[in-house]
Amino acid sequence: MYNYLVRRLGFMLLTLLFVTVITFAVTNILPGDVALLILGPNATDQSIQALQAQLGLDKPLYVQYIDWVLGLLQGDMGTSLRFDEPVAQLIGEKLGRSLLLATAATAIAVFFALPLGVVAAVKQNELPDLFASMFGFIGISIPIFLWGLVFILVFAVWLGLFPTGGYVPPSEDPIGTLTHLVLPASAMGFALTAYIMRMTRSSMLEVLSEEYIKLARAKGMTQRVVVLKHALQNAIIPVITVVAFQFSYAFGGVVVLEEVFFWPGIGRLTLTAIQSRDIPLLQGCIIVVALIYMLSNLTADLLYGYFDPRIRYGGDD
Amino acid sequence: MSTTTPTHDDPSSSSPLLEVRNLRTQFHTESGTVVAANDVSFSLDAGETMGLVGESGAGKSVTARSLLQLIDPPGEIAGGEVIFEGENLLDYSEKQIQRVRGNKIALVPQDPMSSLNPVLTVGEQIIETITHHQGMERDEARAQAIDAMTDVGIPDAAERIDDYPHEFSGGMRQRVLIAIGLSCQPDLIIADEPTTALDVTTQAKILDLLNELQEEKGMGILMITHNLGVVAQTCDTVGVMYAGNLVETAEMHELFRHPQHPYTRGLIDSIPQIDTAYDELPTLDGAMPDLTDLPQGCNFAPRCEYATDACRTGGDPALEPAGPGSSRAACIRTDEIDLRQGYVPDDVERTEKQVDRSGDPLFEVKNLKKYFSAGDGVIGNLSLSRNGGGIPKLERRYVKAVDGISFDIYEGETVGLVGESGCGKSTVARTALKLLEPTDGEVYFDGQPMHEMGDSEVRSLRREMQMVFQDPHSSLNPRKTVGQIVGRAMEKHDIATGEEKRQRVRELLERVGLSASAAGKYPHEFSGGQQQRIAIAHALAVEPKLIVCDEPVSALDVSVQAQILNLLNEIQAEFGLSYLFISHNIGVVRHICDRLAVMYLGKIVEFGSIEQVFDTPFHPYTESLLSAVPHADPTRKSERIFLEGSVPSPLDPPSGCPFQTRCPKKIGEECETVVPDLEEKEAGTGHYLSCHLSIEEMSEHAGFVQSEQAEQSEAQHGD
Repeated sequence: MYNYLVRRLGFMLLTLLFVTVITFAVTNILPGDVALLILGPNATDQSIQALQAQLGLDKPLYVQYIDWVLGLLQGDMGTSLRFDEPVAQLIGEKLGRSLLLATAATAIAVFFALPLGVVAAVKQNELPDLFASMFGFIGISIPIFLWGLVFILVFAVWLGLFPTGGYVPPSEDPIGTLTHLVLPASAMGFALTAYIMRMTRSSMLEVLSEEYIKLARAKGMTQRVVVLKHALQNAIIPVITVVAFQFSYAFGGVVVLEEVFFWPGIGRLTLTAIQSRDIPLLQGCIIVVALIYMLSNLTADLLYGYFDPRIRYGGDD
Repeated sequence: MSTTTPTHDDPSSSSPLLEVRNLRTQFHTESGTVVAANDVSFSLDAGETMGLVGESGAGKSVTARSLLQLIDPPGEIAGGEVIFEGENLLDYSEKQIQRVRGNKIALVPQDPMSSLNPVLTVGEQIIETITHHQGMERDEARAQAIDAMTDVGIPDAAERIDDYPHEFSGGMRQRVLIAIGLSCQPDLIIADEPTTALDVTTQAKILDLLNELQEEKGMGILMITHNLGVVAQTCDTVGVMYAGNLVETAEMHELFRHPQHPYTRGLIDSIPQIDTAYDELPTLDGAMPDLTDLPQGCNFAPRCEYATDACRTGGDPALEPAGPGSSRAACIRTDEIDLRQGYVPDDVERTEKQVDRSGDPLFEVKNLKKYFSAGDGVIGNLSLSRNGGGIPKLERRYVKAVDGISFDIYEGETVGLVGESGCGKSTVARTALKLLEPTDGEVYFDGQPMHEMGDSEVRSLRREMQMVFQDPHSSLNPRKTVGQIVGRAMEKHDIATGEEKRQRVRELLERVGLSASAAGKYPHEFSGGQQQRIAIAHALAVEPKLIVCDEPVSALDVSVQAQILNLLNEIQAEFGLSYLFISHNIGVVRHICDRLAVMYLGKIVEFGSIEQVFDTPFHPYTESLLSAVPHADPTRKSERIFLEGSVPSPLDPPSGCPFQTRCPKKIGEECETVVPDLEEKEAGTGHYLSCHLSIEEMSEHAGFVQSEQAEQSEAQHGD
């Protein structure tokens, strides 16, 4: 475990380093001169040069890169060109909201997907399996934003149960935060359910054909014990990977859902950064999303250890 | 075992523990209904061990699992009765049978590596059985579980109960499985190939344990096995199964002394004995019929040398009393034919194979080493360790899979590598062929230094060196026809193309005992034995000089195994091939090899001709290996040498002699500190031993060879 953790953290740092290089390179290739963008089309050459010097844009690229990385290490992500605020502060505000949405969506998905997947596997090719599969396919094949629109229409417009969109900070109105969270989290959770359920089902099917399941039956264990105690704990291990992946997807990848629900998260912030050529902000967003990806994968790997004793002791004998 | 003589023939005895009547289990498949167990009837008494033997597909496991209604769809139990404690278990509902499973009748499964749940502690897996069936408190159940673990010989049971299965060796896991079986003190244990996945030395210990436990607790055991050696060691009565039918039942000694069914005779003869020299192994030609397409007459008639027209047309015969004893056989000619005389190798005609060792060897390996990084390091094999606390240190950790091996193979010779799992024998083969990059050492093929060659040179040399693997099913490309598989090798090495290639493919397929039409079929259309023939044809296609056979018959049934071994011997004589033959089965090795290297923990401990290795002086490890092989002849019970503990981890091998931690003949400090050299103990014999003992000491106590005659006569007298 100890060696394993050291190795994993080492790899993570290395990956992060690559991400910074790529992020930096790509954002600098993007067309459009930042100084020109800020000053507008009527700016003089002199004022542009002055601004470039002020922003450090006249230095060689590698110096800019090193400055940027050193800044990152100290938590300084630069200043947003568009908002004229520190990037770290801007991201910090949205980070919590995106994490909240992603966590809620993943929790909803897991809550429905695990039991459905288990039932589908146990009743393979029977009616419950067919229903679960159909449910899964519908969830997968219709885009997330459409679910968002459907949910808004049904639960907000027709039934009036929840607000149509927006966000209220919990410090002001915790109940409001929750009511605003329900629809976007459910829409996203519904789409994620399908993937997690399919994975649970196939993983359970595999485990249910293992020899130790046959032995558990031969010992006289009831179906309930065989499925929930003997099979599920083994079957859940590959599911964790999918859940971790879905979580990071829900965190950074669903810009369109944030748009539909006016949820001011990282996704919308990234979109704004791209539209306004706000390079420091864009860089910051990419780095944070990458970091969340890596952390959720690390969490998944550590969870393996919790469920699978072979991994728990595997690294340190 | 003599205390548990069978009593079921005694008319005065009460009803048997288990009585199976006309059991029929079938599977519905796309190609029709397969009757996997057909009209099976037998009975078993308390304290009796009954063996159920037969080749794969004979229906042994299906029969055993049917007893507990453990047949999954598409299978179903179509008829019959299983009378246990006066009630028919087949009438029980799922809820009722659950109370019998694991409680009154326990199943000990085959594979210790996959039969334990990896995420539950072994203790939990025993305790849940006890609490479930006996409604005990956890503390009480835990104490009973520790008792069961102690009973099966798991050391420090109280401490190990909270360990997970992966922390136990294969043999210990099998003991855990037996402990699970024993935990509720069942009346009957169904042991489904309980030792098949284990090494011989471990197998010997487990069989001994089962015998002891039975004497102590008096339960009945239904022992399912394909190994007649195991039957001879453990059983009181035997049922032989073939194509879903019980074809013979007999008292164990009677079965071996006077088999009543020709199939039984063939099974007994097919097993290569470690103390007999053969020119050619007796075989049972052909294979078990396809269960969807059974023959008109007796199922065995197509393979039976005694079959007449009546056998071929008269339907499948029923099991009826046969012979003077209590035997029953399903054979209409059993009274006419005498099967008492087994196969006797013809000493006169035995042609001693001459290997010319005067020139240079074809293949020579010098001081070969292959170290693997331990795989748990931070980068490669660099590992952080905090031994004794303090600041973590970087250190290198290796698994020394092969640690300084030297041997040579001459033209037309077969050299064997034998040892238990994990000793590094397969790694030797792969490293010597440069399929794995050696860590150190020299390899010469035909005088050319392979260890100095680049990849492309080695690739062109591969034409001369082919490999045949254990599992033909996974080594043949399932999407290519047999003709394409064999022909591709010829094309790749520019041997033949076009019509010439196809002609040669047909010839080769016929040479390995298949029909030429096999070329158009796909591998999955063949049985395991036939697939192995295809693999051999594939190896022969490029006209190699050396074929490395890595456990080529281990996955095959005994009757098929003998066919393949004979084929390998024939093509060696015909093409002048050399073999490097890797096996864990010392009986097989004896039959096919000219010289043999015995490996332990990455090192060769003994190397010499077959006669030298199988006779005194023995390396203590060779001696224990030989003694552990179960004899397929109950009259030759050998005095087994049980090794302490299990094979040490190659990550942390013992100091001095690698075998010193388990050696029954360890002499003291020298063994612990000085690594013995592999040396000729008598100059000029070519018999190399790696041991600190003197020749005299290594020749002592070879009881299992010398006292055989005496025991044999004694045993026969005793009957």
